[in-house]
Amino acid sequence: MNDLDTIERIKGALGSRIVEMTNPAPGRIFMTVAVEDLVSVMTNLKRDLGFWYLATISGFDKGDAFQILYHFGLEGGNLNVRTQIPKPAGPDGASADKTAPHLPSICAVIPGAILYERELQDMFGIVVDNIPDPRRVVLPDDWPEQNFPLRKDWKFERPPEVIPGGKK
Amino acid sequence: MAVLKTVLYLIVYPGILFLFVYATFVEWFDRKVYARLQNRMGPTHTGRFGLLQPIADFVKLMSKEDIVPDKADKTLFTLLPIFGLAIVATAGLLLPVWHTNPLQPGFNSFPGDIIILLYLLSLPTLIFFLAGWSSTNLFSTIGGSRVLTMLFGYEVPLFLAVLSPALLAGSWRLAEIAAFYRQHPLLILPNLIGFAVALVCVQAKLERTPFDIPHAETEIVGGTFTEYSGKKLAFFRLMTDIELVVSAGLLATVFLGGFGGGIFLGFLQFIGKTLAVIFLLTLMRAVTGRIRIDQVVSFAWKYLAPLAVLQLLIVIFIKGWVL
Amino acid sequence: MKFSIPIGPQHPALKEPISLRMTVEGEVIRDADIRLGYNHRGIEKLAEEKTWIQNIYLMERICGICSHSHATCYVQGVEKLMDIVPPKRALYLRFLVAELERVHSHLLWLGVAGHEAGFDTFFMYTWRDREIVMDMLEAISGNRVHYAINTLGGVRRDLDEGLRQKILGQLDILRRRTEYYLKIGANEPTFVARLAGVGKLSKEKAMDLCAVGPTARASDIARDVRRDDPYGIYAETPFEVSTADTCDVLGRVVVRVKELFQCYNLIEFMLKNLPAGEVKVKAPRRAKPGEVVSRYEAPRGGNIHYIVSGGADKPERLKVRAPTLANYPATVEMLKNGFIADIPLIFAAIDPCICCAERTVETVDLRTGEEKVLRFSELRALAKERFDKNPRKGTGLWPF
Repeated sequence: MNDLDTIERIKGALGSRIVEMTNPAPGRIFMTVAVEDLVSVMTNLKRDLGFWYLATISGFDKGDAFQILYHFGLEGGNLNVRTQIPKPAGPDGASADKTAPHLPSICAVIPGAILYERELQDMFGIVVDNIPDPRRVVLPDDWPEQNFPLRKDWKFERPPEVIPGGKK
Repeated sequence: MAVLKTVLYLIVYPGILFLFVYATFVEWFDRKVYARLQNRMGPTHTGRFGLLQPIADFVKLMSKEDIVPDKADKTLFTLLPIFGLAIVATAGLLLPVWHTNPLQPGFNSFPGDIIILLYLLSLPTLIFFLAGWSSTNLFSTIGGSRVLTMLFGYEVPLFLAVLSPALLAGSWRLAEIAAFYRQHPLLILPNLIGFAVALVCVQAKLERTPFDIPHAETEIVGGTFTEYSGKKLAFFRLMTDIELVVSAGLLATVFLGGFGGGIFLGFLQFIGKTLAVIFLLTLMRAVTGRIRIDQVVSFAWKYLAPLAVLQLLIVIFIKGWVL
Repeated sequence: MKFSIPIGPQHPALKEPISLRMTVEGEVIRDADIRLGYNHRGIEKLAEEKTWIQNIYLMERICGICSHSHATCYVQGVEKLMDIVPPKRALYLRFLVAELERVHSHLLWLGVAGHEAGFDTFFMYTWRDREIVMDMLEAISGNRVHYAINTLGGVRRDLDEGLRQKILGQLDILRRRTEYYLKIGANEPTFVARLAGVGKLSKEKAMDLCAVGPTARASDIARDVRRDDPYGIYAETPFEVSTADTCDVLGRVVVRVKELFQCYNLIEFMLKNLPAGEVKVKAPRRAKPGEVVSRYEAPRGGNIHYIVSGGADKPERLKVRAPTLANYPATVEMLKNGFIADIPLIFAAIDPCICCAERTVETVDLRTGEEKVLRFSELRALAKERFDKNPRKGTGLWPF
């Protein structure tokens, strides 16, 4: 099926929950929804429209907000569902759990999303509500808390190289 | 003179020196044939054609550090390789290569020695289990339990298959059985089913593919030998090689007519017949993959045991009707 | 009696460190837990500090076996961002190398599956034939792995006529040998007994857990990015999706062997219809602002790259999801109620390329897995303490 048919079907199923829908290239559909509608949109996409293949979940730090993209693979192209959550201001050390950005989990709908959501938790510090398994997945267990590497303000300072017994 | 012959028998041929040299040669032969069947070279570098490779491996292992795990039972851990080597070397003494008279029993050939040989060849399995047990390592324990599980599968068909030609020859003495088949070579043919069953069971006893489950490298790291290193591991490997020689010798004696004709011709026959049996075992090793432990036991009881019983029935039939 | 067995991080069955903790009861696995993170290298963060061209070489080093997949997926995406179209000949050469890489990866996997099953002869034979493919790749690109043949706007090297004929000749040999493997794999009883019924993954579970690649295709799901979302030249080449419906490891072997035959057909088509022309166009230094999603069918499954550009000469966000990561939840499912003896096979059946699956931050510590998990610094202190107490005796004692 081509893009226009897919767009029609999605509009029919989701209606007003779509904030914005674009088709920038053949086979690529970008759709924006609000965070509150996320789980219901996912349920509709999987149950009614049959989009079961979630390729991955990308996080992107835009400075003042986090943009989360859910990439679905379809026959004939790609559907990318975008949602945005505000990022708390201030240095990371000051943000307690209350001001950490929250995102609802879609693991009840799509169980295969678990590893991608755990990665979001590790890398960005986004707290995913109702996640079945909240352990760290990519960072070591003794990684210092409140250190979220993929945020734009996290820089890695390379320690100066010391050659034992040699010249500097 | 007799004392000198006895001492030569015990130490040189087929004593420990000959067994050591021949076992390393057999390991080279096995590795070379296995490699050529897989389109590779095998040992080529050490010595001419790589003949010294197994000796080089032995010497290397002997010179490595010996690590004993903290929680292991030290006495048992240390003594087991020595026991194992002693047992298989003693088993090697019972093969009728020379200094045996088929008409008169002696110290190395007496009625019932086939049973003693089979018993001595079953003890290494117990030694492997104890080696795994005394290592107190998770992987060794699993390896040890697998060794014993396999014993339940192949032991009965092996005994039945090896004892059938003995029944046909009417004797429990290896030298007499071999002499019988040398006199009546046609009677080797009814025993061929038993030969095939015995080959498969010996492959299982020696823990070679398709039955190398107890030390399956890709699953449980090293199985029973995970914690062994240095001299102990060298002895265990030598023990498996000598076990290969002795089992091949047993099969050659019972099924292929033994080694007659005095000392030199007997020696040549020994080499020739054991190498033929080992070639068949290596062929089996190269063309199959490993099977699972539950599949081994079911395979043994579904196919090997009935075939061994069939062989026994054939022998009884021939003995009763024909002879 | 239940006890838990650690497989990894160091284990002969695994080519790369990963920790699987299994709770076993006898020989049956009751529960499995996969812990990742041992092979992190910080590629996604590093990519934000390198230019578009430098990132091609970074992407290649995500993996050794599927290096071309990552590089091509990235280059496709960036070419869309920069709005440049590589010439036809470049596309044909790029995907010729891609299909050759798929052949070598599947032959490698067949060998590894044979080795895990204890069937070493099969392992030696398939890897001998893989040498033919590696020689071809070396003749085309100069390297046996990490071909570095992609560049923004095309490929870096051209293929001359003599080499083209030579590759066509070698294809015959590969075809004959692959048919022989199909015969062995399907008929050798010990091999089939090890593989049949092992690692079952039903179709519904595969869809729920979003499995990809031959793992999913063996459960009768006809998903292949080359057909669903045709990129490059796959819209005009003869190609069929290979599936099997046995849902177990034997099905995955069959799928991969069928894919091998498809690869040979594709390579032959591409070599016979290679168009003449240039092999690259000039690429600008900066990319226009925008975002692009690029998908590619790696030998292990679908690869997806998400690239965001802010108009600079470095990417603003580069997200890579390699296919092995998508197969992990499916692996946990497959391991339950299996035997210990099947662990290496089940794990090898998803064709784990663990270094593909972990990229996001530089590792700080390396962990060893014993019954309890120790930090490396603790281990070092422990070793020092132990050797201080028991000084080692001379190790070079001659035994005789």
